[in-house]
Formats: sequence, C-alpha cells, structure tokens
Amino acid sequence: MHETSIAMGLLDSLNQMAEREKATKVLKVRVKVGKLSGIVVDSFVFAFNALKEQFPKLSKAELIVEETPIRYRCKGCGKEFEVETVFFPECPECGSVDLELLSGEELEVVDAEIEV
Amino acid sequence: MCDVCGCGQHDHGHEHHHNHFVVSDDTTRKNVEIKKSLLSENERVARSNREHFDRHGILAINLISSPGSGKTTLLEKTIEALKDELKIGVLEGDIETERDAERVRAKGAAAVQLTTGGACHLEAPLVHKGFHALEKQMEGYPDILFIENVGNLVCPSSFYLGEHIRVVLISVPEGEDKPAKYPKAFKTSDVFIITKADLLPYFDFDVEKVKEEALSLNPNLKIFVVSAKTGEGLEEWFNFLREKVQEKKAAKVEG
Repeated sequence: MHETSIAMGLLDSLNQMAEREKATKVLKVRVKVGKLSGIVVDSFVFAFNALKEQFPKLSKAELIVEETPIRYRCKGCGKEFEVETVFFPECPECGSVDLELLSGEELEVVDAEIEV
Repeated sequence: MCDVCGCGQHDHGHEHHHNHFVVSDDTTRKNVEIKKSLLSENERVARSNREHFDRHGILAINLISSPGSGKTTLLEKTIEALKDELKIGVLEGDIETERDAERVRAKGAAAVQLTTGGACHLEAPLVHKGFHALEKQMEGYPDILFIENVGNLVCPSSFYLGEHIRVVLISVPEGEDKPAKYPKAFKTSDVFIITKADLLPYFDFDVEKVKEEALSLNPNLKIFVVSAKTGEGLEEWFNFLREKVQEKKAAKVEG
C-alpha cells in the first residue's frame, strides 16, 4: 500500500516541476523501478492514475514504468549476469557468491514531457 | 511533420492510433530531465532528522515487524531495564489509538503517539513532527529514541526515517519462512530479533535455518534470540544498546 504514498509524492513533485517550468500540462513521465525496490508496479500505476485527477496539470499524464532487472557483477571472475530471485545469487560462471549489485534497486523519476 | 512522435502524420486533427497526444500548433512540448529518486522528499526530511539526532548525540532506532510480533513488549522490557541509566524517548506509530504510547509511558519513558490515520508505514515528516513534540514533553533530548513503526513487514522497509539502526523482528509463531517472504525488511535492517523464544518447543521453527536465510539476504545482520517472558537473550540486547549509545556519545564529543 505504500505505492499510494509514493505515487502521491511523485504527483506533488511533478506539479511543482510543472509550475517551475510554466507548463500547461504534463504529458508523460518516465520512472525506473528496480525489481528489488519493493514497489508493485501495477499498484503504483493504479494509484498514480487514481490520484492524478486532483492536479489539473497532471490529469492527462501518462506514467511509463521501466522495470529494471536484478543484475550482478561477479567480483571473482568479472562475469555480469541477471537473476530473477533475490535469494542466494551466485555466479553462473565460477559459483562465487561475492557479487556486486549493478541494478535492481532503482526508484527514479527519469524525465517528463510537458507542454508549455 | 509531427516531430515529437515521429509518426509521419502531418494532419493533427485526429487522434493517433498508438496512444500519442495531439499537439496543437501554438504549444510546444519539451522534455524535462528529472533524475530524482521517487522517495526524494522523504529522504530529504530523513537526512535532516538524522542530522538533528547526530547533533544532539541521540541514538535513533526504527523497529519494524508484523502486528503482534512483540515490538511494544520488547520496548516495555527495555525501558524497565534501562530507564535508570538512559533517557529514553519513544515515537509510537499506529494507524489509530494512543494505546501503545500509554503502555510505554506507564513503564517510565516519554512517548508520543503518531497516528497515520490509515497509512501503513511511518514517513520521515511525521517522525520530524513527532520528535519535536517529544522534545517538548521531555524538556530536553533522549539518549536513545525508539521509533516503533506501524505493524507491517512490507511498506515500512521502503521509508528511511533518519534512524541509525533498523531492527526487524519476527516472533516464533509467525513461522520460519518470513525472511524469505519479506526480503526487503531483512536486506535493509541492521539487527534481526527473533522474539517469543519461549514458544520454540511448541512450534516448528528452526532457529538456525532462519538465521541462515536471513544472513543470506544480509550478511551484516546482528541477530538476537529473545523472550520477554523468560528474559532469555534480553541482557545481550540491552548490552548492545548500551554500547551503541556510548558510541553515539563519543562520536558527538569528537564531532
């Protein structure tokens, strides 16, 4: 359910951005959500669309969510690989568990398209 | 030419078939780069909370668990044991009621109830407000601040409140699969406490297996196994707190 507060926070900050940029409308906003971020994308999109009506400049805004995969780099052999689960990740090449997380925790607003 | 969507259509009098917007000629579109965390406002306030705690040498602890894991009971025991040596302040997060704040006040700690009015987690601005109310109530600063989050093992883990130590609790009756099912709470915590250890003989709860799974998610977790009923493991927990409070005070003196 925290998706609702995060969606509300996004709408607030977009609204401020729209004022600052003297936009008449925000058309699109792109966000990156990592699979380890703890956000359920469907709930987030649902909340965004349900709440955007409260902001006249945002009522037509389309939310584009890019889900980023969980990627690691093996500190042993340097192999980069993707996994589906958060559990016991290990290098498919050499079996090492000493890994560096490359992506998966993103929770970022990338950019927005506005009409001025 | 529609150079925004690049569809090659010159006539803007219609709706494009692939979900693009129609732009009238007297407006311009532009792309604004944002590159900001979705949680940036919460994080900004959380950082300012943390600076405030650091400035006054306060150790802040965020307690996260499901409803009924024993957060408040552990706090009651902790207050009883430490209230003569440390000043303790508590922020009690709940959706409704003052009950938990009343419980910890009865044990001798200052407490402010934060009611979220429906939200399933605490956010940094509410902690900020609550802490100022607590300062007033205490007429000063605590040595240790406990922030008891809303009972929920999911959402609170996404919201940094400015704490120094995040503690996740699982009680024995909840079952041993919790780290696996709620990985984020374990990945983002510093301490893991298994509560209601007196019930271990009655449940299929393999402590070693749970520890192993939790550590596979987060190798830096410090783990305690406690029972508020029998007192098992509590002294280790109290000593850990004493040590962390001393570290915090020393850091303040140096700073």
